[in-house]
This record gives sequence, structure tokens and C-alpha cells, in this order.
Amino acid sequence: MNGTYDAVVIGGGMSGLTAAITLCNAGKTVSVISKGDPVCCLSTGCIDVLNGTERPLKGISELPFGHPYGFVAEDLIIEAHEHFLKIVAEGKIPYTGSIHENRQIITPLGTKKTTCLVPKTMEYSEYDGGDYVHVISFKGLKDFYPTYIMMRLENTGCSVFDAGISSTIGIAEQFEDEHFRQTFADWILRQNIPDGKITLPAVLGIRSSLSIYDDLSRRTGRIFFEIPTLPPSLPGIRLFNCLKNALIARGGQLYWGSEIASVEKLGTIIEGVTLKNPGRVARVQGKAFILATGSFISGGLFAGMDTVHETVLDLPVYYPENRKFWFKEDFFSRGHEIEKAGVEVDASFRPMADVAFKNLFLCGSIIARSEVMKYGCGHGLAIATGYAAARSCEGFIK
Amino acid sequence: MNFDFQHCIRCTVCLENCPVFRVNPDFPGPKQSGPDSQRFRFDGETSVDQWIVLCSQCKRCEVACPYGANPADIILREQLDYGRKHCRSLVNRLFSNVYLLGKLISLIAPIVNKLISIKFIRRIMIFSGISDYLVLPKYRFHTIKRSWPWKGSRKSKRRVVFFYGCYLNYNRPDIGRKIRDLFSSMGFRVVLPRQVCCGLPALGNGDSATARRMAKRNASILVKYIDKGYDVVYSCTSCGLMMTKGYQGILEIESGKKIAENTYNIHEYLLKLIDEGFLDLEFKAVEAKIAYHIPCHLRALGIGYPAVMLFKHIPGLEINVLDDSCCGLAGTYGFRKKNQETSYKLGVIASKALKETGADFIMADCGACRLQLSQLSGMPARDPAEILFDSLKSTMNL
Repeated sequence: MNGTYDAVVIGGGMSGLTAAITLCNAGKTVSVISKGDPVCCLSTGCIDVLNGTERPLKGISELPFGHPYGFVAEDLIIEAHEHFLKIVAEGKIPYTGSIHENRQIITPLGTKKTTCLVPKTMEYSEYDGGDYVHVISFKGLKDFYPTYIMMRLENTGCSVFDAGISSTIGIAEQFEDEHFRQTFADWILRQNIPDGKITLPAVLGIRSSLSIYDDLSRRTGRIFFEIPTLPPSLPGIRLFNCLKNALIARGGQLYWGSEIASVEKLGTIIEGVTLKNPGRVARVQGKAFILATGSFISGGLFAGMDTVHETVLDLPVYYPENRKFWFKEDFFSRGHEIEKAGVEVDASFRPMADVAFKNLFLCGSIIARSEVMKYGCGHGLAIATGYAAARSCEGFIK
Repeated sequence: MNFDFQHCIRCTVCLENCPVFRVNPDFPGPKQSGPDSQRFRFDGETSVDQWIVLCSQCKRCEVACPYGANPADIILREQLDYGRKHCRSLVNRLFSNVYLLGKLISLIAPIVNKLISIKFIRRIMIFSGISDYLVLPKYRFHTIKRSWPWKGSRKSKRRVVFFYGCYLNYNRPDIGRKIRDLFSSMGFRVVLPRQVCCGLPALGNGDSATARRMAKRNASILVKYIDKGYDVVYSCTSCGLMMTKGYQGILEIESGKKIAENTYNIHEYLLKLIDEGFLDLEFKAVEAKIAYHIPCHLRALGIGYPAVMLFKHIPGLEINVLDDSCCGLAGTYGFRKKNQETSYKLGVIASKALKETGADFIMADCGACRLQLSQLSGMPARDPAEILFDSLKSTMNL
């Protein structure tokens, strides 16, 4: 258990896994410590690079000074996303889209959501108005109401299939079975659906979504696309599993379900961390550490009544000082000030000088001023900073 | 009263990881049967609990939960409560005492092995609630217990208690002996003291009294050795989980903490000794392609995947690590007729993934996993210790 690694990544979300995989590719020994499954599992699985603009890269260049995207050179952002596309293609959940251009997909409410890269199962989700869209739902399925979609799109129809199980995960597991797919395809052919696209909640399989998607298209001769659902979200699970398995295949070690109990520091160097285990203290040592614990929802930051602190290393956190200014009046309005909270880093993704852990690198939404909700840049920022921090870390280890 | 449930934010990460929820529509998943229902149990209100027994206690939800709500623990406590309030079925009573059963059967092993294959006897077994989709494991007369209880010099610096567990003892004593011989040839003094079942099957069948009795018995024996400077080593991951987490947790055994601090997984232990410089092993090549099925309880131990780390030293091995699926058998869970369908479906899912790797054989730390997966996939299944033995036998004169 006294493992010693080149790099130890704390946090197993998008940014942590991206960093870990990047380091593995560079031939480093890596371990990932995670308290549990990340927020990625609950996400739509789509990669939002920067919403609210048509050209994400141009939008990034116009972001206010201090945003973490600013620490990553444009070439590196592009490289990071190409790297991501390669990994997901290897993991048999290929993504469509280009970082140069945003696209819009249909949400379970029938509204449109801007995003950038989407799984192939959502490739045809772009609604170009007027075209017929047929919505398929499943009997007893909660949290997916075709009526919402039909109210907002013009030319639609709907049918309901009885899959014998009423959870998205249960239905997805059914789709893994070939006989079930045949029954489903036959049923679709019997529905006499007018020409146009067919959409269904994201339930096309857990492990082999690509082959299920292709198989359905082949059996019915129709164009399908998935609509991401509320959690539990299959596209999120697929994305997480793909990244996790990519890491395992590259020899990365996982300490899953493990919380950090204490950190061993020697001057400006972090030597190791110990994990909360029921008995003996478990130590994980590393030459370098990457902190990718995320923001409030992932538990990387914790807000008290008037203060915000960082939960693993107790790094100094930047946050708007007076609680009065933390929130906007309207909960649903974008850009609550508290979103700016995080750890300030320098251009090499180390925490700012006065903390000065030489072998610590940060990535993802724990970095101050990332404002992921405001800018709509969650996964994109995670990929870009994860990749860049790993590069910086790699240079340090050498 | 356990207040862990208050940590739950209902994010559904546990649902995403629950194997039973995927294939059994009757089970509402760990969120609803764990933290959600606990709110009602709190004030003595009766919650609808009959589905509580459908949980297989694989602990995947516990590993996945990022907020420390411990759904599996909440459910287990409720299962025990259910066991106390309801009349437990014959099969539950039988399986709580798998240890005694094994003890009896091993005495007349050749006869029982014959009897089990007779159709009429099978029918009686099915009638009493034992599932019939698996061929029951063969019992052995020459159990580990009846063989040499210690090996190696009294003067050895490393002294080890080997906790072999019921499956190795009654069904695969050959693996137990290999481990004993490996240890002694490494210069350890190995003792195999009198020991009873770890208590996990009793807990799984709702019998906390029996479980506690067994745990106390083991604890009194193990503590005596630990005080004399022995380390406890286990090879069965479920026994290990029970001894490190269960004894000091749910069973509240006094010396539980001491046992947890001195108990090691076999591969974790060897890695530790290699790190400490105590061992310098010369691994010989084993030419094989292995599909390594990670048992759920190994994940729950929070020690990473030590066999993967250790086997990096063995030349010629190609290991595919698969940790996304539960084998479905979950100890005695799948041997109960009521759970047969769930277990079978999960087993098919897991073995399909293993077959797709194109490996020569399956490797798994847990005897139950091996039993289920080798029968459902038709591939041979081996214990990691056997591979280790193969790699070391020529250099260690075994």
C-alpha cells in the first residue's frame, strides 16, 4: 500500500482524470484518489467549452482577466480537446463536433442548450425548425415528459414503449440485450412514424452505446438522437467510465471511495497523503500532486457562514469577502459572486506564491474565478486545465 | 442511531452504481432503500421495507457515494432489523451457518459431492430455496485446517497468521496450501490457527447474533497472535472487508480496531515488504493474457488494486482490469432461489465483458466471483495467488 508514484491526482472527475491520463501517456506512474464518483456522472455528458457565443475560442479570448482559461494557450486548449476526442473514440463513445464551433441540442424541457462536443448518439440533436421530430418515451419513466418537448417544438409526435422497467438505467441495461433491441426496432417499424428524426431519452445502453445506436439505426433505417436526462444520466456515466477505464488501461492506480485524512509536508514540498481507512493508515506518496477536487458541489471547497475554505490542503481561498455579496437576489440568474471562489494559481497552475507548494498543481473548477455556471464551461475548462496542469507537472517531475 | 443518511443530497450516484437496480425492477435502489427511507425509520414510523432484502451488499454504492452517506451500511442495519422482526427462511438459516455446513460436509465430502449431482437431491435443494443455475462447488475432505497448521522457522523475523476463509478451506484447500508454502519459502513463519467463518454470510442472511459470535471467536484468536507480533493476512477480499470494516463497525467488536490495523490483503502485504526492502523476489515470466475481474469488496476495502501493482513485476503477463461489473453472486445471495434471476443476469453481463477481452482466463480474488464467472463464461478462473505461485515457484524451490 505504501505506493510511491510520479504523480498523485486528488479528485477523480473530468479534470483529474484528464490530467492523470495525460501523465500516463507521458510514461509517468500515476494514482488517482477519489472520495467517490464525480459530478461528471450526473452531467449531460456534453462538453461545454464556452456557451453564450457561437465561437468558443473567440469567446475565451474575450473572457475577463483572471479567468483560468487565460492560463492555457489557445493551441493547448485545442490540443487538449483533440486529446479528449481521441480518448473517447478509443473508448468507443466517439464525440462529434469541433472546438471552433458551438452547437445547440434539445433538452428534456424542449428548450435548446448550447454546447460544443456531443456524443455521437446526440449528433442529430440540432433542431433546424419545421422538420418532423418523433419523441419516444418509456412506460412509467419518471423525469422525462414528452409533452414538454412537444409544446416547444413545432412538428412533433409521440409514442410510448413498455420496456418492463421504468428507470433510465434499467432501460439502458435492456438495450444492451440484442433481443430487446430487435423487439424495440420491430415496434418502431409498426408505429408508422412520418419521415423525420426519432428522439428518445438517453437510454441507449451503458457500456456499448455506440454499437447499440448503430444497430438501431440499421434495424429501422431511421435517424435517432438521444436527449440527455436528469440524473442518473447515462451519457455522464458512459463518459466517466470511458475516462476511468482509459486510465486503468494505461496502468493508473485507483484509490476509490477514499478520503484524505492528512497531508505530509516537508517545507514547500508535499511528500505524501494518508487515506482514511478503517484500520491502518494508508499512505500514498508522490513526487508531484495534482489537486482536482472541484468546487462546492464536489466538496473541494466548503462554505461556512462567512468564510470559504479548501478542504484537502487548507490552501488560501479567494472569495468575495462579505456574505451579502455572495448571491444575487434571483436564484436562477447567472453569475452569483460566490462562484468566483477558488484557489488562485499562477501560469504554471501552482497555487499563488505565498503558499508555494512547489510540487502541487491545480486544475478544474477549484481554480478561482472559473465561474463555470456563468460561462457554461464546466467540462471544457476541466479538459483544458487538466491537460495543461499535467503538462506543467510533467515538466516538474522531469 | 446512525445519522449518515443526513449527508445524502440525492444525487443518484449510488443508483448509477447499483447492480441489482439495473436488472431487478422490484428494487428501488440504494438511495430509496437507504438514506431516503431512513428518514421515516427515524421516528419509529414503519417504512415499506420488504425490498430491503433485495440488496446484495456489494458496497458499490458506498464506494461511489461522494458525500459519505454510506447507503450500504444503512441498508445492512435495516436488513438485520428485518431479520430480527421476521421469521427467517430455512435457506437464510442454512446460509448463515455456511461455516458449520462446510465443516459437516467436508467430513463426508466425497459422498456429498456425489449426492449433489443427483437430480432428486437437486430438486429437494431447489424446494428448500437454493438456486439451481450454478453447479455447486465441490467440497474437499483434506481441508486446510486438517493439514499442517504452521510452517517456517520459529525464529523468522516475519510472522504471519493466514486467515484462509471458508471457501479456500472447504472448497479450494490447494490454493490455501500454495499461499502457505509461498510465505514459508519467503522466510516467514506462517501459522494457520483455529478460526471460524468471518461472519459475513451470517450478516448477509440477517443473523447478527451468529455473525457477532463468529467475529468474537476470531477476534480472540487473532488478537492473541497480533499481541505476539504476528501480522494477519487474508486472501478472500470479503473476509478482509469483514475483518477490517465490519468487526469494528457494525459488529462493534472491542478489539476490532486492533485487528483492522494489523490485517493485510496478501498482495498488499507483499508490496509492503518489497517497499520496505524486506523481500527481494525474483519473478519468472508467466506468459498469459488475463482478464482481471475486480471483486466489489476489493474496491470497498479502499486499498487500490494491489494485485495489479504487484503483477507489474511479472514479465509476460498481459492484464485487462475490469472493475465496472459486479459478478452478481455476492456470496450466498445468488444461491438463494429468490435472487436467482438477478444474479444470473448480472453474471451474464459481467462474463460477457470478460469474454470480450479475449483473455486466456479470468482472475479474481474472490472465490464466489470465480465460481459464478467461470461457469457463466466457460472460461477458467484463477486466484491471483496461483499466478504468483506460478511465477515464483522455480526461483523459490516450491
